[in-house]
Amino acid sequence: MKAKDLMVPLREYLTPDNTLKEAVNLLKTAKRGEERVGVKGLPVLDPAGRLAGMLSMTDILRAVFPSYMALMELGEFTWDGMLESMAKKAADKKVAQFMTRGVITVREDSPLMECVDHMIKHHVRRLPVIGASGGITGMLYERDVFFAITGAMLDDGGRDGQ
Amino acid sequence: MNAGAAATQSPAMGIQFWTATAIFIFSYAAIMSEKIHKTVVAIVGASLVLVLRILQQHEAFHVESLGVDWNVIILLISMMIIINLMRPTGIFEYIAIKGAKWGKGEPLRIMVVFALITAFISAFLDNVTTVLLISPVTLLIADALEVDPVPYLISCALASNIGGTATLIGDPPNIMIGSKAHLTFLDFLYHLSPAIIVVMVFYVLAIRLIWGKKLKTREELKARIMAMDEREAIKDPSTLRTSLIVLGAMLAGFVLHGVLRLQPATVALAGAGALLLFSGKNDVQATFAEVEWPTIFFFIGLFIIVGGVVKVGLIKWMSVRVIALTKGNLFVTSTVVMWFSAFASAIIDNIPYVATMNPMIIDMARQLWPHDTGVHLLQHAGLMPVWWSLALGACLGGNGTAIGASANVIVVGMSEKMGRKITFKRFLLYGMPLMIMTVAVATVYVWIRYYLLG
Repeated sequence: MKAKDLMVPLREYLTPDNTLKEAVNLLKTAKRGEERVGVKGLPVLDPAGRLAGMLSMTDILRAVFPSYMALMELGEFTWDGMLESMAKKAADKKVAQFMTRGVITVREDSPLMECVDHMIKHHVRRLPVIGASGGITGMLYERDVFFAITGAMLDDGGRDGQ
Repeated sequence: MNAGAAATQSPAMGIQFWTATAIFIFSYAAIMSEKIHKTVVAIVGASLVLVLRILQQHEAFHVESLGVDWNVIILLISMMIIINLMRPTGIFEYIAIKGAKWGKGEPLRIMVVFALITAFISAFLDNVTTVLLISPVTLLIADALEVDPVPYLISCALASNIGGTATLIGDPPNIMIGSKAHLTFLDFLYHLSPAIIVVMVFYVLAIRLIWGKKLKTREELKARIMAMDEREAIKDPSTLRTSLIVLGAMLAGFVLHGVLRLQPATVALAGAGALLLFSGKNDVQATFAEVEWPTIFFFIGLFIIVGGVVKVGLIKWMSVRVIALTKGNLFVTSTVVMWFSAFASAIIDNIPYVATMNPMIIDMARQLWPHDTGVHLLQHAGLMPVWWSLALGACLGGNGTAIGASANVIVVGMSEKMGRKITFKRFLLYGMPLMIMTVAVATVYVWIRYYLLG
């Protein structure tokens, strides 16, 4: 199997100019496959349709995390309601400021093992898939790769058992 | 006498003279332009000085008056190691949270308490380190109180530059001056600390005046501060205990280093060694990786570049010009040195500035008191106020602009990261008047203590 056999065709994406408020709304309502609603990350495409970055759940967490807290151990000195007020402050900031740039991608005809190689070595759970034209055509999710592995294991196991 | 001295002591302005001078000027210009990293400039400049044989390598590495001042280098590295080991204990978070509670959650009171804490810590640790340790907490407090964090950031940088002036180890210019003039920790404590205490009193009055009316919060927000328990900050009580004992011993070592005939670098190195040994479970590799090697090599490079122009006579020529200008009047010299240093440090890095001024002042002293040598010359009663003026001017001058001191650059960077950029103009608006005020206070101090009374 190749990347294109498992990928979910690209339907929803963000632009760098979207606000984080718009972004989380789309993350919440985006459809993945037929029945599932809500995704943990979306590609960000520039106006020319090129892949500019990815915005994931972790990026959103980072957007509300004050930069000064990364500098020292201040976790014990926060207060109830701090997260919510930081979230409100971050709501109108742009996706461009928080998206992860330099995204690892795969081609439609990349073998699945190459995809797993990227996922393990770069600690990513989803890979944008690039089509023949150079544009992004779909997303490959860790979970779907996992199901492919499950299928392979259980198929063989079932036959041996019989 | 001055004219005669100038005529007889003019340097032989040969090819070496102009080469060394060109390397010096281009290096300083490149450092100011910030187009190339200052460490790269310093290393390239120093290599040229050596490759072109302006200095022999032996002179650069082993001759005190021309080359690298290892006392400064080892002192800096040792202090960095000590801080790297102490940071994870949580002591700095503890002090800052405790300070906010002393401030009772009142925004202005907290600002004053933080200025005093920052100044005090800065007197013993590097300014940049102090700012990196204190300002994250001030930002947290500002968020808790829902007040503008920018005044706190600016005040933190200014207070660290003022506090750093108080002791031999507080700020690199003082380390350099102390090493060059063979001044002890106690000398600085006796001569500069009182000046800085007076300056801080004026500084606190000034920040009350500037920000007092603007900082307001609500009662329920103050409760957020008072609910914090600073004891939760202490992550590693056993290392902390060891660190505090070693730090105390080291401080005693600094106070006594003159009596014990130990150089400050020896005391700091012993402190770093003891802490590395007794704090046990630390990762030595990681501790050393966090030493700011670019800063260290910046110093090494600068010492060699300046050594080049000392050897060829440029610095001596400059000192002759200064004496001609001040006509050998030492009060005028002190005052000119202080104010010139202040404005120069507001624009350029005070480290290369002091690296140049140190040999110049020594050359000046040689011309004023040709019969004295060694410590008698370096610590001539007439020269002492000039050293103190240099230290006060170069350190306090850093407050003038956003690029005047590394601590300022750090807070500007931090505010930018938070999306609340402190513009060059906004910093200047607070920094410059406060710099002029503090240097004026320092000038009056020097005048009263060394010329009126002395």
